Amino acid sequence: MTLGADRLSALAAPGLSLAQTMKLVAEIEAEAPATVASLAISAGSTIDLLGLFLRKHALLAGVRLSVSQGQFDDPVGDAERFAAQGVEHLLIAPFFDLLAPAFEAQVGRLSPELIDAREAEIRARYRLAFQKGSGFRTIFLADFHRFGPPAPGGDATDVVLARFNAALRDEAAAFANVRRIDMSGLVAEVGRSAAFDPRFYLRNKAPYSATLLDAWARQVTALSRGYGAQFRKALVLDCDNTLWGGVLGEDLVAGVKLGPHDYPGAVYWRAQQVFAGLRREGVLLCLCSKNNPQDVEEMFDTHPDMVLTSDDIILKKVNWREKVENLREIAADLNIGLDSLVFLDDSDFECEAVRRQLPMVSVFQTPANLPAYLGVMEDIRSLFLAGGVSDESRAKTDQYRQRALALEAQQAFESHEDYLASLQMTVRVARNDAAQAARISELSQKSNQFNLTTRRYAVAEIQALMASDAADVWSVEVADRFGKAGLTGVIVARYAPGEVRIENLLMSCRVLGRGVEFALWAPVLAAASARGCVTLAADYRPSAKNAQVADYYDRLGLIRVGEADGAGRYAHAIEGLTLPPTPWICLVDD
Amino acid sequence: MIDETALKQILAAVLGVDAAAITADSNSDTIESWDSLRHMNLVLALEEEFGVSIPDEEAANITSYALIKLVLEELTAA
Repeated sequence: MTLGADRLSALAAPGLSLAQTMKLVAEIEAEAPATVASLAISAGSTIDLLGLFLRKHALLAGVRLSVSQGQFDDPVGDAERFAAQGVEHLLIAPFFDLLAPAFEAQVGRLSPELIDAREAEIRARYRLAFQKGSGFRTIFLADFHRFGPPAPGGDATDVVLARFNAALRDEAAAFANVRRIDMSGLVAEVGRSAAFDPRFYLRNKAPYSATLLDAWARQVTALSRGYGAQFRKALVLDCDNTLWGGVLGEDLVAGVKLGPHDYPGAVYWRAQQVFAGLRREGVLLCLCSKNNPQDVEEMFDTHPDMVLTSDDIILKKVNWREKVENLREIAADLNIGLDSLVFLDDSDFECEAVRRQLPMVSVFQTPANLPAYLGVMEDIRSLFLAGGVSDESRAKTDQYRQRALALEAQQAFESHEDYLASLQMTVRVARNDAAQAARISELSQKSNQFNLTTRRYAVAEIQALMASDAADVWSVEVADRFGKAGLTGVIVARYAPGEVRIENLLMSCRVLGRGVEFALWAPVLAAASARGCVTLAADYRPSAKNAQVADYYDRLGLIRVGEADGAGRYAHAIEGLTLPPTPWICLVDD
Repeated sequence: MIDETALKQILAAVLGVDAAAITADSNSDTIESWDSLRHMNLVLALEEEFGVSIPDEEAANITSYALIKLVLEELTAA
């Protein structure tokens, strides 16, 4: 028994607290399992904590997973960026209620035309994201679900939700690497009241509880088959109270519970059906049972309701030796790794022994509470079949191809730019708008990632700057055909003889990836020129969180002229500065 | 009285800092990693550790060691 195995079984324990989870994940990661995988999250709500649980379940599967967080609600930009970085898996999680503010509450009142337009936008956006993401090994697509409680008998929200989900499914069908995650099912699994935490939803757009995120991460990990580290090949089955009810040695063939019609025999009969189904899918079935071999032979040969036959079982270890030893032999006999084995047994003792001594074996316990056995059967099935290698999935590959061809003919949006143009974005840049001072100050306090110098401003400072002759405060509002995004950017400019110096530029993460950060400069530069400024000067001051804008002024076209106390200094003549073009944005200047 | 050693360990685990670095004066300005995302995790972890449910208004506002201690003492005394 090693310390690592101890930590792993502690991590697997149900009801582990968040602080303990964080501590254990960090400790186990520091020991660095050999296999490393990478995944990026692209979400339309705040779900950063999902990363912790993804890392947890990856570790339980023997994989160290690195998780990157994308921009807020930017699946296309995220797919492009993370694909370029060589990230292996992408998880896309849109959020219905945040498609527009309080979308669930307002959707019932929207016109059919607007719903149509929304659906078209969703199709276009996710199709493009899937196209950009075709190089990922897997794209996990979490579908839309309700945040609020459902109305009895259904309502208009359900109808729109179902339509949008059908649209996502339809678009995803063209891409073989997309795997859908049924979020409504996950919410139902943990229970609606346990799934959400409205406290952090309204403030931080973080809707989910840790319980839901944990269940979500477990499902992603299972669907990924441990990020490719696990390819389960064999199912090793105990006999008594797993394939039939009762103990064969005591109850004898005539006395054990097994049969299609009676309880509890029907539960075991169903289990045998499930295992026989797996056998047809190519899973290797083995027995590992403490029994007299001749008793088990007799049971297989003579019980009228046995579903599994001796032919279904590739290897039988029916003896009185330690199961750990038997499992080692099974792996050796079949010439597969221990990590290809899945072990099912009803005994606490046997399950614990295998978990501790062979942590690479995936262990399932037949629950004493029989109705829960159905869930265990489903978990085992999904562990083997996630990823899909059957004939059906081969047929599905043909469907993918056809759908891909149809899409090619359709060619809705060839590029990100075409998609952006369809949004009909307007960017309004206002100068010294005193009514906005409080919101400008607030954005300056909150914004971390897109914040060039992380200079924060109190309301009074903003008001003073607006009133001053030597400075201007520019506020940026973005709207598209679906509505307004509100105040999304701020530029604070200070004037010196011949020069305008940008004290700070900051933006909300809501609109990143659409070119707004380049479109907003024209009025700022025009005003500076009108005052006789000939040079644009600006600083980038690195912080713990603003690495994503480290090259922003380079991309804008400025020249790095040096460094001054920790900040990179940039400058360029205003005349002759060619800004990156953003033809899809209509600039409104007032 | 609440267990301040446990409190410091929670802060350290969630904020990713050394428990010894947490003092009575620590707050979201003195600890750089204490941002709004980590703050949500912190509230959840505190609720689990101390078996309390922190009301909405306080959940957002307890961004210092002193305030957290105060709120937890009120909630556990009740």
